[in-house]
Amino acid sequence: MSGQQEIRFEDVCVEFAGRAALREVSITLNEKRIGVIGSNGSGKSTFARLFNGLVSPTRGRVMIHGLDPLRDGRRLRQRVGFIFSNPDAQIVMPTVTEDLAFSLRGRGLTRAEVDGRVTSTIAAVDLGAHAEASTHGLSSGQKQLLALGAILIGEPDLVVADEPTAMLDASNSRKIGNRLLDEIPQQLVLVTHDLRLAARCDVVLRFKEGMLLEHGDPRSVIARYERDHP
Amino acid sequence: MIALYHPGTSVLHRMPAGAKVLVFAALALAITVTTGTVWSLPLAGVITVALYMCSGLGILTLLRQLYTSRWIVLVMLVSQVIFLPLMDAITNTSRVLVVIVLAALITLTTRIPALLDATDHALAPLRRLRVNTAAIGLLLALTMTAIPVISGFASQIREAQRARGVPVRPQRFVVPLLVMSLKHSDELADALTARGIE
Repeated sequence: MSGQQEIRFEDVCVEFAGRAALREVSITLNEKRIGVIGSNGSGKSTFARLFNGLVSPTRGRVMIHGLDPLRDGRRLRQRVGFIFSNPDAQIVMPTVTEDLAFSLRGRGLTRAEVDGRVTSTIAAVDLGAHAEASTHGLSSGQKQLLALGAILIGEPDLVVADEPTAMLDASNSRKIGNRLLDEIPQQLVLVTHDLRLAARCDVVLRFKEGMLLEHGDPRSVIARYERDHP
Repeated sequence: MIALYHPGTSVLHRMPAGAKVLVFAALALAITVTTGTVWSLPLAGVITVALYMCSGLGILTLLRQLYTSRWIVLVMLVSQVIFLPLMDAITNTSRVLVVIVLAALITLTTRIPALLDATDHALAPLRRLRVNTAAIGLLLALTMTAIPVISGFASQIREAQRARGVPVRPQRFVVPLLVMSLKHSDELADALTARGIE
C-alpha cells in the first residue's frame, strides 16, 4: 500500500453544540479493509463523516490520501465515495440509468464516456434488469446497490460506508457486504453493527463514548466488544 | 401538481426539451393574452386534448391531471367569484387550468436530465454574472424527484396513524410530514455533497 492510501487522524476532536462527539482520536491506517464498530452514539458515524468533510474537526487534523478535507474538500469528495444507511436519501434521479449518470455531471465527460461508464456500472452492481426502472420502485437492497453504483461510477480511491446494511434484510445485507468486502478494488472504511462483516476486515476500530477505545486484529477487538456487550 | 415522466416514443417525447418548453410557453402566453376572444379558450382546450392524444398518454392521463389540479381550481374559482361575474371567474380559472395541464405535459414527456441540460443551456449567459446555473438546474430536478418521496412519507404517516387508531386530522398529518421532509432534505444535502455535487 502506498503512502497515497494513508489515512491519518491527529488528536481529532469534534463537538456539536458544546457536546463532544469525538475525543482525541489519533490513528494512522494503511489497511485496505477497515472496520469500525461501537454502540449507538459512540462516535462511529462522526468519525466516518470526517473522511470527506461532511463533518469538520473542532480540533486536530485529518489527512486522507494526502488531502485535508478542510482545505481540499471538493477534490477529496471526488476521491472519497460515501454510502449512507438510508438509500432513499441518496437517490436523486427517477431511473437507475439517470441516477448513475447524474454522478458524472460537471466532470467534463462526453456523452459516450458517460454512457460507457453507466453501462459497466449497471453490470457491476447487478442492476441490468432494472436499468430503466423507477428508482423509487426498487427494493431496499436494489436501492443500496444503486447507491453503491452511484459512488463507484465516480471511480473513487476510497469508499466510506456508514452502516450500509442497517436497513436491509439478511440476504441483501450479505449481498452488499460481499460486494463491498470482496469485490470493490478501493480501500474501504466500513462502519457497521454487523460483527460478521467487521470480522472480515483487515483491521477493526472500536469506539466508545466518542473515544477510539482500541484497534487491531478484528477477532480480538470483536471478542472484547462482545464480552463487554453480552 | 408536477407530473413525472412517462416513457414513450411520440413526437413530443422525441422533441428537444428546450424547444418543447419554448413552444409550450408560447402556447401558454397565447392563451393568457387572448382573453377578449371568445374562441380562444375552446381552441386551447382542443389543442390540449390533441397534444395529450398525440403524446400517446391519452385522455385518461389528461383527466388525472385535471383531477390533481382540483384544489387550485377550487381556490381560484371561489376567490374570483367574490369579485367577478360567475362567467368571468369560470373563464379565468379554465385558462389557468389549461396552462397547468400543458405544463404537466412537458414533464410527462421529458426526462429530467434533458430538462436539466436545457435549463443549463438556456441559463448559460448568466454564468458571466457568476450565477450558478448548475444549481438552478439541480433545484428543478430535486423539486420534481421529491414528489414521490414526499408522497411516500404521506402514506407512511397515514398508515402509522391508522395502525394506532388515531383519527386523521390536518395538524396531526402536516407536522410529521414537515419533520420527515426536513429530515430527508438534510440527508439528501449530505448525500449530494458526498457525491461531489455542491
